[in-house]
Amino acid sequence: MECFVSGRFILALMIAFAAFALNACISQKPWHVEEVTGHLPDLKFSLTADNGRLVTPTTYEGHLLLMYFGFTNCDSECPVSMARLARVMQLLGNDANRVRILFVTLDPGRDTPQVLHRYVTQFDPDRAIGLTGTTSDIERLTKQYRAAYRPRSKIGEAGGIDHGDAVYIFDSQGRARLLATSADSDEHLAQDVRRLLETAH
Amino acid sequence: MDLLYWFTPWEESAPVFIATVVVAALFLRGRARSNPRFQQKLYFWTGLAFIYLVSHTQFDYYAEHQFFIHRLQHLVLHHLGPFLVVLSSPVATLRAGMPEAGQRACRLIAEWKPVQYLLSALCNPVVAVTLFCGLIGFWLLPSVHFTAMIDWRLYRLMNWSMFINGLFFWGIVLHRGPIFSVRLSPGSRIAMMLAVIPPQIVIGAMIFFASSELYPIYTICGRAIGGLGAIADQQIGGIILWIHGAMMSAIGILIVVRGELMQQKH
Repeated sequence: MECFVSGRFILALMIAFAAFALNACISQKPWHVEEVTGHLPDLKFSLTADNGRLVTPTTYEGHLLLMYFGFTNCDSECPVSMARLARVMQLLGNDANRVRILFVTLDPGRDTPQVLHRYVTQFDPDRAIGLTGTTSDIERLTKQYRAAYRPRSKIGEAGGIDHGDAVYIFDSQGRARLLATSADSDEHLAQDVRRLLETAH
Repeated sequence: MDLLYWFTPWEESAPVFIATVVVAALFLRGRARSNPRFQQKLYFWTGLAFIYLVSHTQFDYYAEHQFFIHRLQHLVLHHLGPFLVVLSSPVATLRAGMPEAGQRACRLIAEWKPVQYLLSALCNPVVAVTLFCGLIGFWLLPSVHFTAMIDWRLYRLMNWSMFINGLFFWGIVLHRGPIFSVRLSPGSRIAMMLAVIPPQIVIGAMIFFASSELYPIYTICGRAIGGLGAIADQQIGGIILWIHGAMMSAIGILIVVRGELMQQKH
């Protein structure tokens, strides 16, 4: 009897496992870029925007946010990534009005709100926002999203700052949903952003 | 940059801090009663210092953002640190440092049947070897590694699991007396250390010879050391696992052989 029960128990366990695996396969969301839902914390910051105002994520509530860490003196990844995000906005058409690009500077010493304003408006005058703050504010934000940033590093003082090329995508509630890189195509990124906008309602 | 800054934690972790302080305090208290030899004290403090330094200082930043430094961190957490701590045979000293109530609680837990079953299963040579190598392989699966490096909770779980597993494995293979009432012959302890070498070599070589980037998370989030390419970083990491991981087994085997020869002499 005992053997029968344990046999049945094992069978039930196997069925449950198979059902779970099948469910996972069916409900798997085929995003083009990396999905990070639940792995990265919700967006939380208090920084100065390029118009000089103090902003928090609630300022952009209802908008899907594309956050990128860079600095205006960067001559390789940052302009390329920002130009790419501007192209994604073009691909989105009218949907782009519900999206904002947040360019967070890693060089707050040089990137004042005015400098940032001049920089971001080159890429998208209406929907790109430059953000700056104290070194510790920016360090806290980069740490939360595992973005490499050493404000005290000597390499930083020499001019160049080593940083990643990740675009952190947050839904309209400020939840981290996707992580895009330069390896992802503009079209794929635009498709994923549009899909995220559709599921927001 | 002031020196003290390097010793401040990159990400504060109360469990790491509390565990280190408690273990250090127990050892200091127990020292008077159990009177450990100088060598034991040296091994214990070096091991504990290594473990703390790689997990609760600015070193952690580099481990998060450079693959080969992450491998160095795990070399200390899974191999060198636990190895040194076990080599110091600290159990008697730590127990002597515990207050009466703590000792009673430890005895009660150790006598609890489910705990005994679990421990004897974990002490099984096949289980111990599989867990030791399986854990290295599991956290290095590209998709698992990606998630573990972005999710701070999984990152901590990864480091803790490596450390606890290391402590367990080296505890079984280096300790001469019975562990949780399981006594393993010196031959099987040597065989266990030999058995963990090939998987580490294979995983290390697979990473070293990979022509594409296996762990893009470091490029995505940015590398700590500029000028070192993704493949070079990956190759150094692979070499660390390949050679240094296996090296610890060789040292462990020499220690077991020496211990047996010394005993025969007496």
